[in-house]
Amino acid sequence: MRKLPATTALGLGCIVFALVLAFVWIPLDTETWFVERKRGRYIVGDSLAPTLAAGFILMAGLMLLFERRISDYHPSRHNLAFIGAISIFGIVSILLMRWAGPFSASLAGEEYRLLRDTAPWKYIGFGIGGGTMIFCMISFVEQRITWRALWVALAAVIGIIVLYDLPFDDVLLPPNGDV
Amino acid sequence: MTDLGALDYIWLGILAVFQGPEAFSLLGVSVSITVMMVAFGLVLGIVVGATPGLGGVIAMAISLPILISIFGFSSDALLPVMGFLIGVMKGSTVGGAVPAILFNTPGTPDAFMTTLDGYPMAKSGKARKALKISHFSSVTGDTFSDIVLIICAPFLAILVEAYLDLPEKTALLILSLSFIAAVVGESAAKGLLSCGLGLLAVYIGTGEDFYPRLSFGSAALSDGIPITAAIIGVLVIGAIFAELENLWHQKRHTGAIEVAKDEGDQRLHWADIRRILPYIGRSAVIGTTIGALPGVGSTLAATIGYATGRRYHAKNKKPGDPEFGQGASEGIAATEAANSSVSGANLIPVLSLGIPGNTAAVFLILAAESIGGFNPGPAVFKFSSDLNPELVIAFGLFTTMILANLLNWTVGGVFMRSLGALVRIPKQYLLPVVLLLTLASLYVEETSISAIWFAFGFGILGYFMMRFAISPLPFVIGFILGGRIEDTARQAFSATGGDPLFLLKSPISAAFILCAFAVIFLSLRKPKADKT
Repeated sequence: MRKLPATTALGLGCIVFALVLAFVWIPLDTETWFVERKRGRYIVGDSLAPTLAAGFILMAGLMLLFERRISDYHPSRHNLAFIGAISIFGIVSILLMRWAGPFSASLAGEEYRLLRDTAPWKYIGFGIGGGTMIFCMISFVEQRITWRALWVALAAVIGIIVLYDLPFDDVLLPPNGDV
Repeated sequence: MTDLGALDYIWLGILAVFQGPEAFSLLGVSVSITVMMVAFGLVLGIVVGATPGLGGVIAMAISLPILISIFGFSSDALLPVMGFLIGVMKGSTVGGAVPAILFNTPGTPDAFMTTLDGYPMAKSGKARKALKISHFSSVTGDTFSDIVLIICAPFLAILVEAYLDLPEKTALLILSLSFIAAVVGESAAKGLLSCGLGLLAVYIGTGEDFYPRLSFGSAALSDGIPITAAIIGVLVIGAIFAELENLWHQKRHTGAIEVAKDEGDQRLHWADIRRILPYIGRSAVIGTTIGALPGVGSTLAATIGYATGRRYHAKNKKPGDPEFGQGASEGIAATEAANSSVSGANLIPVLSLGIPGNTAAVFLILAAESIGGFNPGPAVFKFSSDLNPELVIAFGLFTTMILANLLNWTVGGVFMRSLGALVRIPKQYLLPVVLLLTLASLYVEETSISAIWFAFGFGILGYFMMRFAISPLPFVIGFILGGRIEDTARQAFSATGGDPLFLLKSPISAAFILCAFAVIFLSLRKPKADKT
């Protein structure tokens, strides 16, 4: 069986997505149609602009099927492995950034919301989450774990704290603005 | 109050830059904050341009929230913040040539063609001379482009305001989107897809109804996707992921970088300047013309400038002169003048029409939107007899550009030539740090962890777009213009009494719509090389 070119698959995916967008998502998740009558006047409804976006995507999908092309770009298995790993590092780091501070505070029997502008509590989430992000990404790219990666992560986290938190009273590092 | 004319506005713009709040006093001369910020921006731009893996876009993304934290949201903040961004834009174009010439590693994509002659010159012991030629050509091209911008943007804006009503403006915005989709990247279809995704993203959670559309009823989507998160995600974080992956594939390169020692005469003589001027002139015109079209990148300008220079060189070179690609200083001049002259002209559509033509313009619009008090577009250039503060800001911006060029002429070259060591910073350490710094900067501006999630998610989208060879620029421009297209269309529809064919009633808007379709379908006819 002949393998479907990636660009054709992308085109078909765009067509399906555009049709789902235009005929399912937009009608079910928008309050007004293309045009509404309000106080005796016709006005543009909320569905029109997203349908224009769906039209762009649909046209792109159709063009991808017929456009003459030089090469058939697509993500390889290596690309997927890389972005999968980076996504895991990112998700874990952001979760740590969000929850490490409140978790530490709860261990100490405190409420984090009241401590979010107090050192060292306010640095726990950013330090652990940000440090993890840098350390994991460096180690993954270098394909080995080194002390150097750890020092770079620590230095970067301290540097960013010095850059943002020390000079500005009204600036909050993540996640202290919305906990 | 006296009536204000065009010259008064120009003078007020100059005064706004030089007589703004004082930063410090030097030998009794007061130096304004705006002047200082332009200088800082230029220095930072040269540094990031000279550092492979970084670039003007990343520097702008990180510095914008810091600048807003420092200067706040008053209209006094506009010139220092935007002046800084302009400095970064100009500095990074110049700085990109440093690693290209010294180490065969272009600091920015625009500088790739510079490696072709710059590196052979460096290898033959002419590194300092190559850097001087690159700097001279780059700043000359940039200055020429700025002069064209300053002359053209007000006239274009006045024409737009005089002749285009709401339907025509809607049609012009649609034409701009389809043009950008068609010319950016190797495929019009992919450009259109990128643009469609940008439009879709900006319409989520917005609209005029009580219920936020396309939000699935979720609180996170009901306020819409933060513009900074989407733009930084697709443009900056996606690029960081792609660059990290290249390093992952390469694993690690070991071994010292060899640099040839300078030999012989390194000065830039008047005879050298006379020899390269024809190349600079041609490339400056090419770059400025290409730059005035929204979405067409400086890489295309560099390629065409280099190719034109090579043809001219083949006819006019003296026997014994090196060929293009073998260390010809004319090759550096042709490339650098072309890619630098794009940057000023790229601001013509943003200042006269409000349509961002490149990533630097995107950040200028972001700054203007974040701070408020300045809405780039044709309405800015209203020469009313009562004071129009936006027009003063516009002329203030022109002044900051000229100032940045003057600084670039005087100290930029010396500073640029001292930055060769930056190329030795290992990218595998630099990029994750830049990623965290970008996310922290984003959080400082948005104060919401969901903005970090959005940015990370859009970063993954940006990465996949790159792997499918889909340019992220139409996405960003679709995201920025999507709201304006909808607002203008709503107003035009109401103003025409609910006429569903309002876009086709006037000849001008019908012509724009026709052109929008023509641009897309003509670009389908033949495949083209990557242009950005």
